[in-house]
Amino acid sequence: MCSHWVVLVFCCLGQLCADQSLKPQVAAPQLATNNPTLTTVALEKPFCMFDSSLCPNKSYIIYLYAMKESASAISSLVTDNSSKPLDSTFQQTSGGQLGPYKAALFNVPNCASPPKLADVGDVNKVSDVLKQYLFRVGDDGTCLYDPNFLAVCNPPLAPDTTYRFKYVLLDSTEGIMKDQTLWSDPIKTRRVKLPLKIDTWPGRRSGDMIVITSILSVLVFLLLAGFLAFVSSAVMGSEGSSAETRCVSQTIEQSEQRPHLSSE
Amino acid sequence: MAKSDDGIHILQGLLVFGNVVIGTCGIALTAECIFFVSDPHGLYPLLEATENDDIYAAAWIGIFVGFALFALSILGIVGVIKSNRTLLLVYIILMLITYAFEMASCITAVTHRDFLTPNLFLKQMLERYQKSETVNNNDKWMTEGVTKTWDKLMLQNQCCGVLGPSDWQEYTSAFRIMHSDADFPWPRNCCVMDARGSPVNLDGCKLGVPGYYNSNGCYDAISGPMNTHAWGVAWFGFAILCWTFCVLLGTMFYWSRIEY
Repeated sequence: MCSHWVVLVFCCLGQLCADQSLKPQVAAPQLATNNPTLTTVALEKPFCMFDSSLCPNKSYIIYLYAMKESASAISSLVTDNSSKPLDSTFQQTSGGQLGPYKAALFNVPNCASPPKLADVGDVNKVSDVLKQYLFRVGDDGTCLYDPNFLAVCNPPLAPDTTYRFKYVLLDSTEGIMKDQTLWSDPIKTRRVKLPLKIDTWPGRRSGDMIVITSILSVLVFLLLAGFLAFVSSAVMGSEGSSAETRCVSQTIEQSEQRPHLSSE
Repeated sequence: MAKSDDGIHILQGLLVFGNVVIGTCGIALTAECIFFVSDPHGLYPLLEATENDDIYAAAWIGIFVGFALFALSILGIVGVIKSNRTLLLVYIILMLITYAFEMASCITAVTHRDFLTPNLFLKQMLERYQKSETVNNNDKWMTEGVTKTWDKLMLQNQCCGVLGPSDWQEYTSAFRIMHSDADFPWPRNCCVMDARGSPVNLDGCKLGVPGYYNSNGCYDAISGPMNTHAWGVAWFGFAILCWTFCVLLGTMFYWSRIEY
């Protein structure tokens, strides 16, 4: 009885001086390597961030709010005057441009036994580990266009835009905000380049191309030169030999005629 | 006289040997080029879509040149043994023509190999993979070829993109137009698949959890076979041409030494 009251007192004191130095963090980069993407951001769930504000025998829910960084000049309040959290949607705030919108709600993550990240290697456990450890903002591409969708819509974010996120702890029976984190550091979604800009020029010629082309050109030239040389020498040779045979036959005729003359 | 006779006989022997080597190399060249033209790795659609498929043209020329070399080497052997000037003249002229074709094949293969850079395949993959609105039949044919080839490449080699899966994230693409980034940060084939052909863990794949997506690029799987193809055609052809050069010079010299 006494301890129960003591705990309650500490609980209420805890609510008054809640630790407000914590912010939502991006999921561990060695686990989620593709983060942030063009239209999504995977955030770590708020492990042990609200433990000082949790009272036993009460049920809590966590809301996640997202807004574009440019909206912080317009409005960055997540609750109304009576500490009730805002029910703004993605469409109402133009995707977080006019103020924060509610992107998700989930149960308070278990601080005492957080999921072991090493279990990710096990095919059977990986779904549970991912679900317990992180939340992917921008995961649902169809809820915006589905008229029957009644839950909290978490549509894809805009590319090349800076967003900020906040977790809010809510007492589910009273519907009143009990604690909230600070707004996260600005997180920017990716930017894309056009494939037209990719330069496909190969650059300088490779060494083998130069070697093959130059050597083969030289060889072909030598072959043609050699062919012409041999053919022309053969032609000259045959002309010279035909002139020689004519000379020889003439001298034979002459030498045959002279003995006739001398004999006469 | 006897000495020059001996010399001629030695030259004859050398030329016959040279022609035998040319004949066998011609058959080998034909076989090698048939192998390359048959495209065992299925990469031809990628080159066809870039309109840069001249290494295949070089291989086609190689098939016919190889066969021509074989036929001409037989002619050469007959001509040398019979010491027939006409036969040898025909042999030399036809060999020069074949030489020119083979030279064209070698130079084409090695020059066009230089164009096959990672950026070329990256640009083509981004612009054509799963492109939905094709302009005409030619475009449709090329797009289907590229899509099928990439799907097969990514599945068989367990790779993603040209340099890595980040290719799909860094650039916009025809794929990105059809598939939202939230559902498909990269194509499904980039995910590690189970025995039935579906991703082992889709969320792990989308988030990029190591072990659930293929993190290396496919460029090695593409450039390896293409390099083998281009260099096989170019350098083997070059070696044959160097040998043929010597044999042809010897034949011309022999031709000039025999009498009609």
